[in-house]
Amino acid sequence: MRFRSLQSRITALYSATFGLVMILVAVVMQWAIADSAENKVRSELAASAKMIDRIWTMRGNELASVANPLALDFGFREAVATEDDETIRSALANVAGRIDLSNAFVVRYDGRVIGIRPGQDRAYDAELWQQLDAGWQSGALRLNGTTFQAVAAEINAPALIGWLVLGRELGANEMRELSSLSAVPVTAAVIRRTGEGGWVYDTSGQPVSRRGLSDLLARMKSDAMAAAEVETERLDDSMVLVRPLGTSEGTASTALMLEFSIRDALAEYDFLKLAVLIAGALGLALVAYASARLARHIVRPISALEQAARSLAMGRWTSVPVTSDDEIGLLGKSFNEMSAGIAQREGRIRHMAYHDALTDLPNRLQLRERLEQMLEATVLDGGELAVLCLDLDNFKITNDTLGPQVGDKLLKLVAARLAEAADGHFLARTGGDEFCVVLTGAAVAEAAQTAEALIAHLAEPLTIEGHFLKAGASIGISRAPDDSMVADDLLKHADLALYAAKAAGRGRACRFTADLDQEANQRRAVEVDLHRALAKGEFELFFQPLFDLASNRFCAFEALIRWRHPERGLVGPGEFIPIAEETGLIVPIGEWVLKEACHQAMTWPADMRVAVNFSTVQFQSAGLRNVVFQTLATSGLAPDRLEIEITESLFLESSGPILEILHGLKEIGVRIALDDFGTGFSSLSYLRRFPFDKIKIDRSFILELLREREAGAVVKAITDLAAALNMETTAEGVEEFEQVEALRAHGCTNVQGYLFSEPIPGAEVLPLLDTEAARRAA
Amino acid sequence: MTIGSLSRSTIRQAAARLLLALAALCTATTTQAADLTVIVRDSSGHPVPEAVVIVDVPGRTGGAPTELIINQRDLAFVPFVTVLPVGSTVVFTNLDPVRHHVYSFSPARRFELKLFGAGERRSVQFDRPGLVAVGCNIHDQMQAFIQVVDTPFARKADAAGRVTLRGLPNGAHRVRVWHPHLRAPGNELVVEAPAGSATLPVSLRLRRPAPMQHGY
Repeated sequence: MRFRSLQSRITALYSATFGLVMILVAVVMQWAIADSAENKVRSELAASAKMIDRIWTMRGNELASVANPLALDFGFREAVATEDDETIRSALANVAGRIDLSNAFVVRYDGRVIGIRPGQDRAYDAELWQQLDAGWQSGALRLNGTTFQAVAAEINAPALIGWLVLGRELGANEMRELSSLSAVPVTAAVIRRTGEGGWVYDTSGQPVSRRGLSDLLARMKSDAMAAAEVETERLDDSMVLVRPLGTSEGTASTALMLEFSIRDALAEYDFLKLAVLIAGALGLALVAYASARLARHIVRPISALEQAARSLAMGRWTSVPVTSDDEIGLLGKSFNEMSAGIAQREGRIRHMAYHDALTDLPNRLQLRERLEQMLEATVLDGGELAVLCLDLDNFKITNDTLGPQVGDKLLKLVAARLAEAADGHFLARTGGDEFCVVLTGAAVAEAAQTAEALIAHLAEPLTIEGHFLKAGASIGISRAPDDSMVADDLLKHADLALYAAKAAGRGRACRFTADLDQEANQRRAVEVDLHRALAKGEFELFFQPLFDLASNRFCAFEALIRWRHPERGLVGPGEFIPIAEETGLIVPIGEWVLKEACHQAMTWPADMRVAVNFSTVQFQSAGLRNVVFQTLATSGLAPDRLEIEITESLFLESSGPILEILHGLKEIGVRIALDDFGTGFSSLSYLRRFPFDKIKIDRSFILELLREREAGAVVKAITDLAAALNMETTAEGVEEFEQVEALRAHGCTNVQGYLFSEPIPGAEVLPLLDTEAARRAA
Repeated sequence: MTIGSLSRSTIRQAAARLLLALAALCTATTTQAADLTVIVRDSSGHPVPEAVVIVDVPGRTGGAPTELIINQRDLAFVPFVTVLPVGSTVVFTNLDPVRHHVYSFSPARRFELKLFGAGERRSVQFDRPGLVAVGCNIHDQMQAFIQVVDTPFARKADAAGRVTLRGLPNGAHRVRVWHPHLRAPGNELVVEAPAGSATLPVSLRLRRPAPMQHGY
C-alpha cells in the first residue's frame, strides 16, 4: 500500500503493528483457552467417570450385600435345591420389597427361572444362563427391553445349583441422577450393542452415530472398567468417555456414555474473549489516535516548512512558527534563518540592481520602471509629468586633471545638492555625470524654473580636497503628455534637449521641441545613408597640397573626404562627419580614408607625404595602432610619409591612454600634427605633453593676418614656439600671395590654401605636381 | 486310598466276576467282553482326576452293596468323589477337632447330620442311584460328591485321568463322563464309544472352582 502522506503512513504502521500483536494475543489466547478447556473437560470427565464408577460400584455392592447372604442362607439353598418354588418366591419378594428392586429371581442350574421379573423370555433365559455360567457377576443386564444394573450370586448346595439375580432398572431417571452428581454438565446415557454389532441408545433405541465413537468402543474391553486409566476421546465438539457396564467374556455389550460439550466448556471463556476483544479494539483506537497525534505533531511543522519552502522558491519571504526545541524545531529555526538570509541578500541585490553604487541614488533601470509607473498614474489622473536630464559640464576635465577620487566626491556632492533641490521629486543617476529628475503634479508647470534653480544650486562653488570647483550643468527637459507618453521617448527627448542645451553653450536648460526631434530624425536618415555609402563606395578622397616655403615646392597632400551622394551630389565632410562620429561609423570610414590615402600616396613621388585627419572617436576604438601599422604594411608606404592630424578636443573628450597611442604611432615612424591650433583652449600644456611633429595654425588667424596686427603677433608667437619645440608649422587657409610672404617672414614652414590649390580629386594630384614642376622649371 | 479302603471280600468278588467275563469273551466272539480305557483331559490337555466314567449296560446292574468311609479331615471331605453301588452305606467320620453339619439336598438322597463332634461317626445308606452332593453347613468350602450307580461299569479316574472299564460287552456304548466342575447340565457329558474301540479320549470343559464369595 502506498500512502501519499507521512501522517497516514505512520498511523497505519503503528495501528497495523498493534493490530497484529492483538491478533497474535487473541490467537494464542484462543489456543490456550481451547487447550485448557479441553484439558479441563478431560479431567472433569475423568473425574466424573471415576465418580460414576464409584457410584456404580456402590450400587452394585448394595445389591450384592443383599444377594450374597440370601444365596448363602441354608434355608434358601434348601428351597432352591428342593425346588420349593413358593418358598423361593416369598423369600425374593421379601428382599425386593426391602430395597426396592424391580428384579429378583433365581436361575436354576437346570435353566428354570423362578422369581420376580417383568415378562417371560425363554430365549433370553438361555442366554442369561450362559452368561451366568460364564461367571457374570454384576453389571448391566437387559431383560425384555429394559436395562438393569444387576448382580448375580451363586447358590451352592454345596455344588452350584443356580444363581440369585437382583436388578434395578437403569432408566432416564437413573441417568439424570448420575449426571447431576457430576461436577461438570455431563450428559450420561446408556448405550448397548445390537445384534448387528452397532450401538444404540438404550432408552430411545436410536443409533449412536458419532464419528470416531466406534473406534473408542472397539477399544473398550470388558475389563476396562477396572482399569485405572480413563480414556476420553474428542469427538466433534464433545469430549466423550465410555465405560462398559457389566462384565462378560468378549467385548462389552452395554456401556455408559458420558458426554461433555466442549462448546459449553468454552462458553465459560466467552466473557474473557469479549473482554480481550473490547480491550483490543479500545487499544487499537487509542494507538491509532496516539500515532495520528504523534504523526500530526511531526508532519504539521514539516508540511508548514514545505509550504514555506515553496513560497520562498516563488520569491515570497516567509517564516514558519517554531513551537518546539526538538529536531523539527531546529529545522524550522534554520529554515527561518536561511529564509531571512535569502531575503536580506535578495534585498541587497535588488538594491544594487536598482541603485547607483556611488551616490546610492536610483539608477537608470529604476528610473525607467518608475517613469513607466508614473506615466501610468499620469494617464489615469490626467496629470502632467516632466523629465529633467542633467549633465555636468566639463566634468571630464575635472576627472582627468584632479583624478577620479575628486571626480567621485564631486559626483557625490552633486547628488546631495540635487537631492536637496529636487525637493522630494524622483532623482536618479543615469550615467557617469548624468542625472535625471522626474517632476510630477504642480511642479511640472515650473519645470523650467526648477531646472534653472538646479543649475544655480549646483553652480555654487564647492571645495574638494583643497580644490575650488564649480559644477556647471546643462539640462534638457521633456514633458508628458505633451512630448510623449512613452518612457523611453521622454528620456530620449530630454536627452535631445540636453544636447541642444550643450550645443547652445552649456550652463543652461533647454526644453525639447519638435525641431530637435526632426534634426534627430534627419541624423538618423543620414546614418542610414552613411551605411549604404560605406558599403557602396560612395566616398571619395580629395587632396589639397601643402607648400613648403623653404624649398618652394609641394611637400604633402592633406586627404579630405567627400561623399558623392546619389541624390545630393558631392557632400562636404561638415555635413556627415559629426553624425558619423556620433554613431561610431567614423571608425570604418576613418579606416577607409587611411587605406585609400596610403594607397594613392604610393603613386606619388617618394618625397611626397600624405596627411590624414583622425577623429577623437577613432582613438576610442581598440587597435588603432594596429590598423595604422597594417595599412602601412599593406600599402607599402613609408611611415614617415604618413602624417596623422588630430585636434585638441582629443585630449578633452576622449578618455583612455591617448598619449600612449600617440607615442606608439610615433614609434612606428608616423608623423603627428596638431590641427586647428589657436582655437579652443589651445593649452600649451598639450605641446609640452607630446612632441608633435607639426602644428597647424587655424585658418582664422591667417584670414586676419594681413589686416590685424594681433593676428600676426599670434602667428609669430606660434611659429616661434614651434621652432623652439622643434616642430614644423603649417598655415591653413592661405588665399593671397601677401599672406605667403608674411608667413614666410614669421618663420612658418608650410602653407596650405586655395592660393595653391583647392582640394582636387586623387587623379589630379600627379598632373598638378607635373604642372608645378614645369612652372618651377620655367 | 480309595481302593485301599474297600474290603477284601469286595475285591475278591469283583475279581471273580472279571474272570467270568473274560472267560465268556474267549469262548464266544459275539458275547465276548472287552476293556475300554477312557482318558479324561481338560481343554488344555491336562489329566482330570476324580472324573467319573459310567457306562450303563442293559441287563447289567450294580454290584453288591458295600460300606465306605468319607472322612472329614482338615475341613474337607476325603475322598472328594466317591463311586458307590446302590444300597451301599457311607460312614461320615469326623476327624477334625471341630463340629460339622453334613447335609445333602440331592434328590437321590436327602439327609442332614446335624453337628456331630470330633471322632463321631454317622452312617448314611444310599438306596437310589444318582448324584448326591454333600456339603457342610458350617464350612461352605467343604464338598463331596457321591455317585450312586446301578452298573458295574463305573469308575473314578486315577491321577492320570485314566479309567479302564473291563469286561464291557462288545458293541457301541454310551459313555457318561461326570465331574463336579464340568460345564454341562448335570455336570455330565455323554460320549458314544464306537464298537471295538479300546480307548476313548474325552476332553472336558471345566469350570474353575467357583469362589466362595461374590463381589467385585
